[in-house]
Amino acid sequence: MLMPRKVQHRKHHRGRTKGVSKGRTEVTFGDYGIQALEPGWITSRQIEAARVAMTRHIKRGGKVWINIFPDKPVTQKPAETRMGSGKGNPEHWVAVVRPGRILFELSYHDEPIARAAIARAIQKLPVKARFVSREAS
Amino acid sequence: MVGVALTAETGRTPGTRPSRRLRRTGRVPAVMYGKGADSLTLSVDQADLRAALATEAGANALITLEVAGARQLSIIKDLQRHPVRREILHVDFLRIDSDDEVDVEVPLLLTGEAKKVTQASGMVDQIIHRLPVRAKSADIPVEVVADISDLEVGSSLRVGDIALPDGVTVAGDPEATFAVGLITRSTKEYLRQLAQAEAESEMAEAADSGDETAAGAADES
Repeated sequence: MLMPRKVQHRKHHRGRTKGVSKGRTEVTFGDYGIQALEPGWITSRQIEAARVAMTRHIKRGGKVWINIFPDKPVTQKPAETRMGSGKGNPEHWVAVVRPGRILFELSYHDEPIARAAIARAIQKLPVKARFVSREAS
Repeated sequence: MVGVALTAETGRTPGTRPSRRLRRTGRVPAVMYGKGADSLTLSVDQADLRAALATEAGANALITLEVAGARQLSIIKDLQRHPVRREILHVDFLRIDSDDEVDVEVPLLLTGEAKKVTQASGMVDQIIHRLPVRAKSADIPVEVVADISDLEVGSSLRVGDIALPDGVTVAGDPEATFAVGLITRSTKEYLRQLAQAEAESEMAEAADSGDETAAGAADES
C-alpha cells in the first residue's frame, strides 16, 4: 500500500477542507478518470482497493494512473483508554481530496468496459465521485 | 479554419467579487491582449461564448471580437473552467492578424490498428494528446491525425514523423514521443496468473488420469 518513505513530522493536525481543488482537475494521462465531487480523506487501503477493482475488471490491455498520494498520517488512541496522555499513535495514511480532483485515470480502448471498471472503483471510495472522460473534463 | 463573431463589452470592474456578480448576470469576464496594444478588460455573453466554442474547431476557433464598434481578430489563449460545474469562469483573447503565424495546440488523434501491439496483449499509450503547432490563422487544422499501424511493443513514434497539412509546422520538440507500444505491469501480472492457473489445471488432469490407470491396473490383477 502507498505510504511515505520518511516524514518530517510523525503526527499531523486534522485541518479543515474548504473550497474546490486548485489543480489536477483535468484528465491528463489516460482517456477516462474518476473525479471527486466532495471533500474527504481517502485511505491508502481504499486507494489500493479501487486500483485492484479497476485492474481486475479490465484484465489486460489497459493502464491505470493513481493521481493521489496518502501523505497525511492519522492517529488513533487504543480502545478503552482514558483521555489525555498525549496524541495517539499513527495508524494509517490518508490523501486529502477536494471537489474536482481527478483521483484515478484509466486508459482503455473500450469505453463501456472502462466505465464499468470505474464504477467498481468508485464503490470503494468514501467520497462521491463521477466518471469523466478526456473530452468532457 | 472556423470563424465566429462575438460581441464584447468593456468597462467591467476587475476583481473577484465584481467578477462573481458579473457571472451571476450571465456574462463571463474576459481580457484581450497582444500585438503591442494595451490589454482590455472585457465581458462576453455566456451563451454566445458557449456557441462560439461549440464549432468543430473547439477552443481554436478564430473569433472576430466586436469591442466598442471596432472589430478585432483573435483566438482564445486561455480558458478557465470551474473544476466541478465545468462552467467557463474567465477567457483570455489574444489579438492576431490574419497574416501572422500563431502557436496553438490542436487535438492529436491516432488512426489505424497497432496489430503487433494488440496481438502481444499490449496497449498503445498516447503521451501527447494536444499537439503544439505553428500556422497562419487561416491554416490552423481542426485536428492532426497520426497513423499507428506500424507500432510495435517497445517502440515509439515521434512528433517529427507526423504528416502535417501544408503551412503547418510543429511548434515544440520534433523528437518528442507521442505514442508508445507497451505491456503494462497489470497485464503482465494477469498473464502470469493465467499461465499459472493453466499449469495447475494440467497438473490436476495428469494426476487424475494417473490415478485412473493405476486403479485399472489394480482391477486387472
